Amino acid sequence: MKRNVLALTFTRTPYYVLSGAAAIVFLFPLVWAAYASVNGQAGSGQAEGFGLGNYDRLLHYEDGLAQYFFNSVFVSCATVIVTLFVSLFGGYAFAKFDFPFKNVIFLVTLAILMVPYATMLIPLFVLLKTIGLQNNLVGLALVMAMFQLPFATFMMRISFEAVPKELEEAAQVDGAGTFGVLRKILLPAVRPGIITVALFAFLAAWNDFITPLILINDQSKAPLSLAITNLRQQTMGVIDYGSLEAGVVVMAVPCLLLFFALQGQYVRGFMSGAIKG
Amino acid sequence: MLGLLYAAPTALFVAVFFTAPLVLVTRMSASEWPLIAGDKGFNFPDNYSAIESNSLFWPAVWFTVEYTVLVTVLLIGMGLGLALLIQAGGKWKGFLRTSFLFPSAMGLASASLLFWGLYSDSIGPINPILQQLQITHDPIQFLGDPLSALLSTTFLIVWRFAGFYMLILLVGLQAIPHDLYEAAAIDGANKWHTFRYITIPLLRRSLALSLILCITGSLLAFDQFYILTKGGPDNSTITVVQLIYREAFQRLNLGTAAAISIVVLAVLVVLNTVQFRALRGSEEA
Amino acid sequence: MRNKFRMPPALATLATLAMVAVVGCGSTAATPTAAPVATPAPTDVPVATAPPAATPAPSVAFSAGTDDGKTITMWTRAATQFQATALVAAYNATHKNQVNLTIVPTDDMQAKVGAAAGAGSLPDIISGDVVFMPNWTSQGLFTDITSKISALPFASTLASGPIKASTTAGKAYGVPFIMDLSVWVYNKDLFTKAGLDPNKPPTTLKEFDTDARAVNKLGGSVKGSFFGGNCGGCEVFTWWPSIWADGQQVMSADGTSSMLNSDEAKAVYAIYAGEFKDGIVAASSKTETGPTWVSFFPKGNIGIMPYPGSLLGSIPSTVNFGVAPIAGLNGGQSTFVGGDAVGITANSKVSDEAWNFLAWTLSDYAQVEIVAKGGNIVARSDLANNKYAAADPRTVTVNQVAAKGVTPLAKNFGQTFNDPNGPWLVLTRDAVFNGASSSKIDSDNAAVTKSLAGQ
Repeated sequence: MKRNVLALTFTRTPYYVLSGAAAIVFLFPLVWAAYASVNGQAGSGQAEGFGLGNYDRLLHYEDGLAQYFFNSVFVSCATVIVTLFVSLFGGYAFAKFDFPFKNVIFLVTLAILMVPYATMLIPLFVLLKTIGLQNNLVGLALVMAMFQLPFATFMMRISFEAVPKELEEAAQVDGAGTFGVLRKILLPAVRPGIITVALFAFLAAWNDFITPLILINDQSKAPLSLAITNLRQQTMGVIDYGSLEAGVVVMAVPCLLLFFALQGQYVRGFMSGAIKG
Repeated sequence: MLGLLYAAPTALFVAVFFTAPLVLVTRMSASEWPLIAGDKGFNFPDNYSAIESNSLFWPAVWFTVEYTVLVTVLLIGMGLGLALLIQAGGKWKGFLRTSFLFPSAMGLASASLLFWGLYSDSIGPINPILQQLQITHDPIQFLGDPLSALLSTTFLIVWRFAGFYMLILLVGLQAIPHDLYEAAAIDGANKWHTFRYITIPLLRRSLALSLILCITGSLLAFDQFYILTKGGPDNSTITVVQLIYREAFQRLNLGTAAAISIVVLAVLVVLNTVQFRALRGSEEA
Repeated sequence: MRNKFRMPPALATLATLAMVAVVGCGSTAATPTAAPVATPAPTDVPVATAPPAATPAPSVAFSAGTDDGKTITMWTRAATQFQATALVAAYNATHKNQVNLTIVPTDDMQAKVGAAAGAGSLPDIISGDVVFMPNWTSQGLFTDITSKISALPFASTLASGPIKASTTAGKAYGVPFIMDLSVWVYNKDLFTKAGLDPNKPPTTLKEFDTDARAVNKLGGSVKGSFFGGNCGGCEVFTWWPSIWADGQQVMSADGTSSMLNSDEAKAVYAIYAGEFKDGIVAASSKTETGPTWVSFFPKGNIGIMPYPGSLLGSIPSTVNFGVAPIAGLNGGQSTFVGGDAVGITANSKVSDEAWNFLAWTLSDYAQVEIVAKGGNIVARSDLANNKYAAADPRTVTVNQVAAKGVTPLAKNFGQTFNDPNGPWLVLTRDAVFNGASSSKIDSDNAAVTKSLAGQ
């Protein structure tokens, strides 16, 4: 008995050492960022001791943290709404209907995945100007939604395809049109797909950097990722690392919370969408 | 026809924000197109021949390839390792999975800024720790020379993305029927053999998917280098996308930027076609 | 950083009073028709009447442009933000117009202005590194202010470098905003400790090197010198004066051909290469990309280094330092006349209001009571001997050397010299850190020429 326990402990030890070390490596930078954002540092908003000086400085940085936070929230939410609107109908169409150019449209949509961001952003920079959406949060959200479209359309298509035919047919017998079926029967059935699409679109838009870097010129319209990146070289002679890490925390916390709350969804979205499809 | 109506938003959206820009970028690549003054008419093939004489182009290509190979090997290896660690079970399974996935929820730009502080002389915690433990004497310049800049950036990327690839591979691992392992155990196969002849072959599809995502992502690297190294030191860490950005916004020439974009697009399309072929081939085999 | 500066009303009144008082003092030679400075001008017509040609340049109270309560957006770069924020704060406190200032990271300035120009979303005023001006004016970024400038009563006294840099085909598009000159600063206490005479700064680059090495022997946290070795803009600003002082040029006059492989230039690189190799400069000199290159001297443990004259005022009084002109290998003196020039963008809807601000920054009050008082270099030659400059011998040194300085002009300056991925940084890194042969420097120089030609 005793020997058994010993043997077990022995074989389990590498596991604990390995997983413990791995967990530390993965969590350390996050913990450190939080620590560095409140720890005193000469030249930062929190000159000494612990405190929220860096966050206070962030609040008043240029147009104010609130403005950048709003920009990020606006762009991310708009991206989610546009992505959902387009991909919901698109996915429904591709899953349940036959129509001319169906495969062409679907394949072209998926082809967006293959085109580098930079290749798209150079002409979009010119194109958005001609339609008056350059340097504009709505234009930014539309472009971000475009980048989300392949995954979202694909995801919604397989979600709709997974809904059994009988469910729809029953509703059609009751006299519901295709829109009625979509609204009453299919929407609840594809809810997990919707949440996955929304979550991915939100995280991608919130975290995107190169798109606003190229498409947004006014500091007052910058989302957080761009504003915080500018912050680090704002003062000659000093790099305000404290406020920078505070900014990193502000950017990361909503993502981490959202991720924590919807982790199951995230993982399941993967299993059903990205892999098995 | 109703279907077309439902697909109309998609079609319209794709036409305006994808097809039209694609046509435009092709047109731009064949035109003299200064950033500020705008279109000045066709000049084909000047923008393309300018690529060849751009002294940063080949270094950027080589660096991007080198970086892609390094990151792909490390990320897939690490992803697989972490997936096996989770698969092995144990009390910490849930905690570990969440820890590994946490960085993936963070943006690449914010992760890069985080590591920019982490690697800095002035508040970076790594050097003080190493010096305290008397492992090093002088502070390490994490971004100071080409090799350490590459490795430091690679570490950031592995940290940020390993959980993501772990998840893909974990899904693949869990799809492997358990009785295969039992049968192998009965046959007296050791752990390595089981891994080599059961796990790896059956994981082929997840591995191939990881490979495609990882290679494409690494070839288009931008944020991490823009924020951490600005292409330095000594232009050793310029990626192709950074070169496009530089042509457009430092040298103010959208024409040459568009030409490089088209070249990158062509390479990517070929590469992805080959990879998908290989993936499909391996499935049929 | 808040970008809007508003003083409480009481303070604002005080400031206005102070302003009127100062201008009053300085305007004894003024023509009686000059309008009081604080009154907003009703139209965009400059109120001050041009003085008769025969009278010596008078310092008149004047008003130009319109002050009718508009918001003026403005970008400046981080390198000159101290001075820019001080000027904007004082202007906002005393005017109806409000300048809304955005600070752009120095390295991103060119990319940001380019992108905004391409998108048609530029701010009303751009203050940028004077070396960018030839490019920006040639691209038509700014509105022509030739006649507005010449209507200024003190037009002939404005620093010529920034004006020349902002002039294309006989039309002027910009005026000086923040003047900056490169000089050597040295720590007198460290000089004394190292057995050097604190009142005898080096007069050649060789002596500079000897002195730095002497100070470096003190050891501990003390370093002989420092430079921004991964910052093309810093090197241009601090190393080129030595080349000029030796009587050599860095570029052809039209700015299309590089001469940065001259024997004089190579000798300058060799001095700095030796300092790095022998550990006279801190190891981080090699990685310094610019944002913090000025932050080490004020901490008091650097012996001697090139420094921006505009930041002398920010060195704490605890550091006992002296200032000397940058010299060449064997003597001579020169400086890089840099800093920011400022222009009104071509599509600005408030160009008269913007001009009101720009003209005000050049007024006696702003130049003396804000610029000079802050320890900075005035943009007008007639104010060079102001009371603040006279009180500080260090500023006198700076002002004297200004006359010997150069503002190098080239259309493709930014992408060649300032861009962190540009060919100039390749050349200097090769020469200073990588022990490049003379012929390697020649081929690097050819790449610089190619970039200057826009290829």
